[in-house]
Amino acid sequence: MTGLLEFREKLKLIYSKNEMFIVPVIKFLLTFIVLNMINSHLGYMSRLDNIIVVLIVSLLCSFLPNGCIILFAAVFSLLHLYELSMEVALVGLCVYLVMFLLFIRLSPKDSMTVLLTPVLFALNVPYIMPIVMGLLGSPVSAISVGCGVVVYYFLNSVVSNAAALNSMGSEEAAAKLRMAIDGLLNNKAMIVIILAFAITVLVVYLIRRMSVEYSWTIAIVAGAIFNLIILLIGDFLYDTNISVFGAVLGSLLAVAAGKVVQFFRFFVDYSRTEKVQFEDDEYYYYVKAVPKMMVATPTKTVKKINNTQRKPGSQETRNTAEAGSRRRVETERTYASRGGKPQEAARGPRSYRKDSVTINSDMEDLTDDYEDLD
Amino acid sequence: MLNEERIILMTKMAYYEEKEGKENVAIGKYFRSDYIAVQILKSFISALFAYVIFFALYIFYDFEDFMQNIYKMDMIIFAKNALIWCGIVVVAYCVISYIVYSYRYAKARKSLKSYYNNLKKLGALYNNQ
Repeated sequence: MTGLLEFREKLKLIYSKNEMFIVPVIKFLLTFIVLNMINSHLGYMSRLDNIIVVLIVSLLCSFLPNGCIILFAAVFSLLHLYELSMEVALVGLCVYLVMFLLFIRLSPKDSMTVLLTPVLFALNVPYIMPIVMGLLGSPVSAISVGCGVVVYYFLNSVVSNAAALNSMGSEEAAAKLRMAIDGLLNNKAMIVIILAFAITVLVVYLIRRMSVEYSWTIAIVAGAIFNLIILLIGDFLYDTNISVFGAVLGSLLAVAAGKVVQFFRFFVDYSRTEKVQFEDDEYYYYVKAVPKMMVATPTKTVKKINNTQRKPGSQETRNTAEAGSRRRVETERTYASRGGKPQEAARGPRSYRKDSVTINSDMEDLTDDYEDLD
Repeated sequence: MLNEERIILMTKMAYYEEKEGKENVAIGKYFRSDYIAVQILKSFISALFAYVIFFALYIFYDFEDFMQNIYKMDMIIFAKNALIWCGIVVVAYCVISYIVYSYRYAKARKSLKSYYNNLKKLGALYNNQ
């Protein structure tokens, strides 16, 4: 466990040091993956289904705000739909507009969820989304997840009806329009999944906010169970053809993903819970404080170097002249403290550990820091 | 001479201003009633626009039937029903917006209060120097 906690701290350190580069790279990769998925699933417009176009747009999105990734994904999907049928593209535009006007403007922070939900559906792991959003988001996130489900099922219905749409002539515009709208309104599986995901988000959110021990773990497991039960009831009532085995496996994956999120976001040590009670003029306070589980990342510092052979008065050299000679190097393994107070970490009895090692002079490069105290 | 406490406080405040504070400061510039009124106005326009889209899709869904029956149906009742539904959608959305933006305003004010307390503390640290 200590190793994992050290790994987490190292990851945080790397991210905070290189945020300026990591964020654009993540945005680039996300845009690249999303646009490639759109091209591979829809791919009706050959001019868009081109790696150079995808690369250019991905590069552009890596420096633009997050909303632009969603905008480009919507534009790509609409252009593909337009190539298939103008009427279907029109319905798609209406769906996106209604989503933006009624739902996304209420929770703009969760807008990325609308993009990620169809991506997870395409990767066959959609059950991760409601649990993760219940852990990280708010009750309004249920709307964003629902919008993502609608987008996936709309595009999916267009793909499954593509052959029929292609065979229709331009005089059957009304029929094409009806087919596209029916793909949305008469899709019982979509309604069942929206309901299941919305309830899961709410259940996970409500339980993880409760003041009980292991609330996050209980929330993750309860969310997965609720999700599964609603899907099975929906399948039983409306014959939605949801794979039971896939749903169970997906729920297990969702639990695993939830535990990973918990590890990074809310990893506490309930065995050291403290309960205190005090009062002021207006209130009595019953406070429960649960400490976070964390370790400080070790940083190696070379503190002292004793050269075995040195002539008094000779010029100090420490490279070629001492090549091959052995040195005694005392390393101090200090732990960086949190909150920007490094001196505090050095004060505590458990905050540092000294290791004495003997190394060859040609290993100098392996040390993190070098300080000649002679 | 560097004052560590002051630097920590200023760093926290700068971080807040950079992230969530940006939105909260913008909200804090309004009185509660003004902020909620502006947001409800935006919601009203959005809901109206969304209803027009729904209505257009409804008409075009069965356009041939609609055109065949257009002279048979009572247009006044049809328009009245359309307007009633429009009113229901718009009012429902505005009520939801009122709840959401009231909560958001209260949250932003609470967060800004803590920010202004930090500002006062920073001012006191400068005065004590």
